[in-house]
Amino acid sequence: MDIEQNQAELIDNFVKQASAQKGTALGSVILEATSHPSLFAFSEILAVPTIAELEGTENSVYLKVLQLFAHGTWSDYKSNCSSLPQLVPDQVLKLKQLTVLTLAETNKVLPYDELMMELDVTNVRELEDFLINECMYAGIVRGKLDQLRRCFEIQFAAGRDLRPGQLGSMIQTLSNWLGTSDNLLVSIQEEIKWADTMSELDKKHRKEVEDRVEEVKKSLSVKLQTVSRPKLSSEGSRISTLNLVE
Amino acid sequence: MASSSSSGLTFKLHPLVIVNISDHYTRVKSQLNPPPLTSTSATVNGVENQQQAPRVYGCVIGVQRGRTVEIFNSFELLYDPSTHSLDRPFLKKKQELYKKVFPHFYILGWYSTGSDAQESDMHIHRALMDINESPLYVLLNPAINPTQKDLPVTIYESELHVIDGIPQLIFVRSSYTIETVEAERISVDHVAHLKPSDGGSAATQLAAHLTGIHSAIKMLNSRIRVLHHYLVGMQKGDIPCENSLLRQVSSLLRRLPAIESEKFQDDFLMEYNDTLLITYLAMFTNCSSTMNELVDKFNTAYDRHSRRGGRTAFI
Repeated sequence: MDIEQNQAELIDNFVKQASAQKGTALGSVILEATSHPSLFAFSEILAVPTIAELEGTENSVYLKVLQLFAHGTWSDYKSNCSSLPQLVPDQVLKLKQLTVLTLAETNKVLPYDELMMELDVTNVRELEDFLINECMYAGIVRGKLDQLRRCFEIQFAAGRDLRPGQLGSMIQTLSNWLGTSDNLLVSIQEEIKWADTMSELDKKHRKEVEDRVEEVKKSLSVKLQTVSRPKLSSEGSRISTLNLVE
Repeated sequence: MASSSSSGLTFKLHPLVIVNISDHYTRVKSQLNPPPLTSTSATVNGVENQQQAPRVYGCVIGVQRGRTVEIFNSFELLYDPSTHSLDRPFLKKKQELYKKVFPHFYILGWYSTGSDAQESDMHIHRALMDINESPLYVLLNPAINPTQKDLPVTIYESELHVIDGIPQLIFVRSSYTIETVEAERISVDHVAHLKPSDGGSAATQLAAHLTGIHSAIKMLNSRIRVLHHYLVGMQKGDIPCENSLLRQVSSLLRRLPAIESEKFQDDFLMEYNDTLLITYLAMFTNCSSTMNELVDKFNTAYDRHSRRGGRTAFI
């Protein structure tokens, strides 16, 4: 969440710049925005009306670049290379970082092979350096690199700008989560009730057993009175041993 | 008598002090239930008002660094109702003892229990002014109020106000924050979770544990509900889209499901099976020992006839 805080100022800055200028000048603003090392959020800038006006004019390439940075990946750029202007190295780096974020959207565990393919990186060392220096130190991704299994386990990834359709799926996920936690609450309630009822039953059972033991003891002592004298001593000793054993 | 303080001091109260005061009060109150022969603290209005809650008194000690006053500890004092004064020699002795153990702690003020600060408290306050030129008065309200959300502890300072042309010392309320060291947090947590002494059965412990988890999940649930509501509102268009928040929510949702992998399932099932196995084993042992006892009793009851000279079965 600190990423968002860091970006908030930058976003305001760029939005002001964008709304203040028009046409070709916006191109330089967009260039600056997309190369800035700490800026990963572009939907606010996209929403500025002067930028939306770029659509259809000769400067629409800049708009396309901004849209690419907001929603696209490195592979999108490679396939549309012809219609988009050449990117400076800073922009290339940023686009690759954003690609990692997009990949993180779908899986929590990213195999090295997939990453290498998406990012155009040939060896593992370079990939790991990229991940560590550019992604983790920038704070956009947190996770563990598993070299033995050749995968990257992601625990946290910063959010990218939302496409219009993604809001619906987010709401769906949230309602699922809500449903699961509701169910969990209900089952915990039932468990607590079960624990209480079982302890009640147990207490009752214990009480019943004790009552029966008392009854038996009383009936024995009654029987002791009714038995004749000569037998008394052995009966008495028997009762006393019984009592001892109990 | 109480308005807000203007001295600009910030107060930090450690939970140990609160626990000490409440412990002192509880002890005195429970000792007073039989008619008091030797009471450790005095009632306010003599013997007949024993229904009235006893007031306890003591000193609070701590450190003052600049504008921050931090109250660490407290100890009890005897109050003599006849002279309306605290036990001075005892106070001095305690002060010396505490100085030896905690050389940095000073007497910052005193505490008492009750619902509000009273006039008589001013005397004690003045009396303490020779130790500390501006003592604090910590008041704990022992009445249990289930609707109250805050701690029933108030800190008063004394200020010289001009009322009706006469400069008088009155109590003014100050705000404070609670500050804990890690050790304190653990012990207070432990005290808060004390089970009742006779509720040691497994079922009540299980119920207590589950209730704790239940309340935690309930809080999480309510927060997710808020997020859900917010997003639905955003989708419908009632709330303007705030992109930074949406990004944060999307990054949060990507962390779900939190733990789901084959390795976790394996480990989890293995541990589950281990627990079940141990329970089974314990139950087995229990059963076999009960069986053993039953057999012993049976033998004692039925087997004696061979040794006692032709005695038939007892019942």
